[in-house]
Amino acid sequence: MKSIAVLAVATAVLAACSGGGATSADGKTVVNVSLDPGLEQGAIDAFNARVAAFESANPTIDLVPREYKWDATTFTTQLAGGTLPDVFTVPFTDGRGLIERKQIADISGQVAALPYAGKFSKEVAKAGSTDNGKMWAVPIAAHGQALHYNRTLFTQAGLDPDKPPTTWDEIRADAKRIAEKTGQAGFAMMTSGNTGGWIATTLAYAFGGRTEQLDGDHAKSTVDSPEMVKALQAVKAMRWDDNSMGANFLYEWGTINQDFAAGRIGMYVSGGGNYGSLKAQNAMKPEDYGVAALPLTGGANAGVLGGGTLAAVSAKAPEPVKAAAVKWIDFYYLEKLTTKDAAVADAKTTADSGQAVGSPELPVFDKAAFDERMTWIAQYVNVPVKQMTPYTDKMFDQPLVPEPTRSTQQVYALLDPVVQSVLTDRGADIPGLLNGVQTQAQALLDKK
Amino acid sequence: MSDRGVLSSFDWRRGRVRGTARVVHTVLLVLLFLAGLGPVLWLAKSAITPTQDTLRDPLALWPHGFDFANLATAWTRVQIDKYFLNTVLIAAGAWLVQLLVATTAGFALSVLRPRYRKVLAGVVLATLFVPSVVLLVPLYLTVVDLSMINTFWAVWLPAGANAFNILLVQRFFDNLPREVFEAARVDGAGPFRLFWSVVLPMSRPILGVVSVFAVIAAWKDFLWPMLVLPDPAVQPLSVRLPALQRFIELDVFLAALAISTVIPVALFLAFQRLFLNGGALSGAVKG
Amino acid sequence: MTAPPTVDRRPAPVVPPPAPVKRRVRRVRGGGLGTVVFLLPMLVVFGLFSWAPIVQSVVMSFQETNLVTAPTFVGLDNFRAVLADPLLWTAVRNTLWFAVLALLLGYPIPLVAAVLMSEVRRFKGLYSTLAYLPVVIPPVVAVLLWKFFYDASPTGVFNTLLGSVGLGPVPWLQDASTAMVSLVIEATWAAAGGTVIIYLAALTGVPPELYEAAEIDGASVWGKVWHVTIPRLRGVLLITFILQIVGTAQVFLEPFLFTGGGPANSTTTILLLIYNYAFANSLGGDYGSATALSLMLAVVLGVLSAVYFRLTRSWSAS
Repeated sequence: MKSIAVLAVATAVLAACSGGGATSADGKTVVNVSLDPGLEQGAIDAFNARVAAFESANPTIDLVPREYKWDATTFTTQLAGGTLPDVFTVPFTDGRGLIERKQIADISGQVAALPYAGKFSKEVAKAGSTDNGKMWAVPIAAHGQALHYNRTLFTQAGLDPDKPPTTWDEIRADAKRIAEKTGQAGFAMMTSGNTGGWIATTLAYAFGGRTEQLDGDHAKSTVDSPEMVKALQAVKAMRWDDNSMGANFLYEWGTINQDFAAGRIGMYVSGGGNYGSLKAQNAMKPEDYGVAALPLTGGANAGVLGGGTLAAVSAKAPEPVKAAAVKWIDFYYLEKLTTKDAAVADAKTTADSGQAVGSPELPVFDKAAFDERMTWIAQYVNVPVKQMTPYTDKMFDQPLVPEPTRSTQQVYALLDPVVQSVLTDRGADIPGLLNGVQTQAQALLDKK
Repeated sequence: MSDRGVLSSFDWRRGRVRGTARVVHTVLLVLLFLAGLGPVLWLAKSAITPTQDTLRDPLALWPHGFDFANLATAWTRVQIDKYFLNTVLIAAGAWLVQLLVATTAGFALSVLRPRYRKVLAGVVLATLFVPSVVLLVPLYLTVVDLSMINTFWAVWLPAGANAFNILLVQRFFDNLPREVFEAARVDGAGPFRLFWSVVLPMSRPILGVVSVFAVIAAWKDFLWPMLVLPDPAVQPLSVRLPALQRFIELDVFLAALAISTVIPVALFLAFQRLFLNGGALSGAVKG
Repeated sequence: MTAPPTVDRRPAPVVPPPAPVKRRVRRVRGGGLGTVVFLLPMLVVFGLFSWAPIVQSVVMSFQETNLVTAPTFVGLDNFRAVLADPLLWTAVRNTLWFAVLALLLGYPIPLVAAVLMSEVRRFKGLYSTLAYLPVVIPPVVAVLLWKFFYDASPTGVFNTLLGSVGLGPVPWLQDASTAMVSLVIEATWAAAGGTVIIYLAALTGVPPELYEAAEIDGASVWGKVWHVTIPRLRGVLLITFILQIVGTAQVFLEPFLFTGGGPANSTTTILLLIYNYAFANSLGGDYGSATALSLMLAVVLGVLSAVYFRLTRSWSAS
C-alpha cells in the first residue's frame, strides 16, 4: 500500500512542483531573490529595474523575485520548510547561530574573491563570519538605534521640533507635554515578537548596562543588571506616573511604525534608518519626521545598540546557484556601497521611483569609504536631511555596542513579557521579573 | 414540524403574554441588528473613510467626506484580487478532494461492503477522536518531505482526510433503497456504473451538505495555510490579511477587509436556506 | 392512537429468497478489484495525512528532532521538559479560564436566543439571518476588525461607545485582567449564531402534545420551558457542551491574532504554546516538545470525553 501511495503522491508532486528548481527551461541558473513585501509600485519598479540590469549583464542567470521579510516568528518555519528564497537577509543577531548549525550555505570562498572582501569594518564582519574569519553571510547594512520623533506633534505641544530631547529626563518631560497637549502617546515602546527584548536591551545599553557577559567560551546572562532595572523603571514612571505612553502597548516593529506614521506617537526608539520604510510602507508625511540621537546616560559604559543586516544564501542551493547568488549579493547589495557608478545608478533609480535616498545608516566598511559614498549620491538625496541632523550630527560620536551574540533572539523573547508587564501591570515587580528571566536565560546560554 | 412552540394559541390571546413577547422580541431584534449587522455596516462605512477620521472619530459618518480611493488602492496595490483568487482555488480544490474521498469511501463501505469493512470504518472513525492539534507538527513535516510546501496540494490533500464526511455519506448511502442497486446489478452494472449512474445522482442532498461544509471550512482555514504557504504569492486572504496589516495604512486595510467580507456575506444572503439547513443538519447528525 | 393491535391471520405470502442471484452478486461485491479502486482515494489520503502523522506524532514525542541531523531517541525527556516549563501551567490556567468564560457567556446565550426566536411569528427568517451573519464573516476578518474595535485609547470604537454613556475607557486587550474576556466576547459573537441555528432546528422537534399536556396540568410559560423544552433538548445540549469544551481547549486563532499571547503571557493558550514550541522560536523548532504537549492534550481531552459520555449516558434522552 505504501508503494501505491508513493506513486500517487509522486505524480501529484511532479505536477505541482513550484519554483526553486536550479535550472530553468533554457538552461539558465535560476536564483530566487528577496523583495520587501508591501512596497509601493515605485519601489517595486526600482527593484525590477535592478533585476533587469543584472540579468542583461549576466545572461546565464535568471532571477526570480520573491517577497520576503525576516520575522522572528516565521523565519524558523521558512527555514524548516526550505521555502526561503535562495538569497535572503537576516539580522546580525541570527548570523552566528545559522552558521554554527550550518543552516546557510558556505559562500566564504566566493566572498573572499570579491575585491572589497578585506575591507569590512571589523565588528560588522564578525557578525557574519565563523570563528576563523570565514565569511558565510555578508553584511550589507549597519545601523544604530535612534530616537524617532514626530515634529508636528512636538509643535502642537509647544515644543521646538529642532531641539529634541538629549537626556532621559527631557524625554520624560517632553512625553508628558505631548500627552497633555495633544492627547497622543508621548513615548511608545515595542513589546512583542521579540522586539520588546530588543528595545529593553537598547535601553539597558543606553543606561550603561549589558545583558550578556562573555568569559572565554562561557556566557553569563546579566539581564537583571541594575542598569536594566533603572531603564525599565524610567519607562514605568512614564507609563504610570505621567500617563504619557498612550493606551496601546502590544506593538512590534511594523505596528509601531504604522502608528507613528499615523501621528499617534510622539517618540519611539528603533533602528536609525527607519525613514525609508516609514515612507514606503506606512505613508509617513516627510514634514512630520524627525530623528535624534539616543540619549546616553550611563557614563562610560553607555552605548548605542548596533545592529545590521546580513545577506545569506540558502543551505539547499546547489553550487551554480550559490555562485550566482554571491554575484547578485555583490551587484544589488554591495556594489552601491563600493563603486561610484553603481552607487549613483542605484541612487538615481531609487530617487526616480519616489523612494527614499539618504536615510541615516552606519558604515559597513570604514568611515572614509562611507564619506566618499555620501558624496557620490549627494545629488539624489531626497530625505529631509535637515530634520535628521539631531541624529546624523552625533551618530558617529556615540559608542556603538554590538548586540549580544548568544541566543539573542530567544533572550529577547524572554524579555517581551517583562516589558509587557511593566506597561500593563501597575504593580509589576521589575527586579523580580528580571530575576526570573535571568535564570531562564542562563539556562539557555548553558545549553549551548 | 409543529406550528406552535412553547406558547399556545391561548397564551397568545392573553394581553400580558402578547405584550411581553412583543417587547422581548423587539429587544432581541434590536440586539441582533446591533450585534449581527453593526460590525459589518461599520466596516462598510470605514472602508471609504480616511484614516485620520477613523482614528479620531470612529463612529462619525464621514465628517470630512468620502475616500473611495481606498477601495481602488486595496484592489491594486494590496492585490486583494490575487489573494481572493487563491482563496477560491484553495476552496475549490479542497471541495473536490473531499467529495472524491467521501463518496468513493462511503460507496465502498456502504454499497460494495467488502468483508473487512468494519475494520476500515473503525480505523477511519477513530480519527474523529484525535484532536487535530496532534497532527499539526508531523503533518507539516510530511508536507515538507513531499516538497508540497508553497503548493496548493499541501492544503487540498490533507483536507480530504475528513472522517466526518465519510460518516455522513456512508450513513446516507445506508439509507438508500437497496432494490435500486439490485435492479442495476441484474442489468449488469459493475461497481463503476453503479456509482456514477445510480448512486451519485441519488445523493444530491448529502453532496450539498458536504460541499457547504467543505467550502466554508476551506474559506475559514488559517493556521494550516499559514504554515504551508509561506510564499505570499500563493496565500489566501485569511493568511495574507494579518501580515498586510503591518504595512498598509488603516483606511486601505479596512477597505481590504471590507472587500474580503463582501463575497461570503453575499453568498450567504443569496443561499440562506442552504447555509441554515446545513447548520441544522450538522446539529441533527451530532445529536 | 392506542387501538388494540390487529393480527393479520392470512397466511404470509411465500417469497422465495433469490439465493442464487445473491451469491453471484456477493462474489462481485466482496473485496474485488473494484472495491480496492474505490477505497484507494481514502486509503492514500488517510494513510499519508492522517494515520501516518498520528503514529509519527507519538514517535516524535520521544525523539529530539532538529533539521540537520537524524532524530535521536530521548525517552521521556520531552515530556519532562514540557512539564517543567513554567509557561505550561500558565497556558493550562489560561486555557481553562477561556473555556470557563466561553461556557458562561457562550452556552446559555444561544439557548435563550433560540427559545425566544422559536416563538417569533413574523419575520422569523430575519432573526435567523441576523444571528448567523457573524458566523459567515471569515474568522480572520472578524478578529482583525475587532482588534481595531478594541483599541484602548479613548477614541477606540468600543471606548467611544462606552464614553457616550458615561463609562470610562476599558483597556481591553492591553491589560491582563481584561484581555482574555475580550477574546471570549469576540469568540462568542462569532460562534453563537451557529449554535442558535442548531437549537432552533432541535426545538422544532419538540412534540406539541407535550406542551398541551403540560398546559392541562396548569404549567406557566416558564414552567413549560423548564419542564418540557429543556429536557427534550437534552441530547443536543449535552453534545454542544462537550463539543464546546473540546473546541475551546484548542483555541488558537484569537490569542494568536489579537495579542500574540500577551500581555505578559496572560492569553497564551496550550495551542499557542505548542505552536511556539514548534514554529516560533528563532533558529530551531522544538518539535519534540510540541508533539509531547499535543499528545498530552489529546489524552486529557480523550479521558475527559470518555468520562463525560459515561456520566451523561443515563441523562441523555436519546
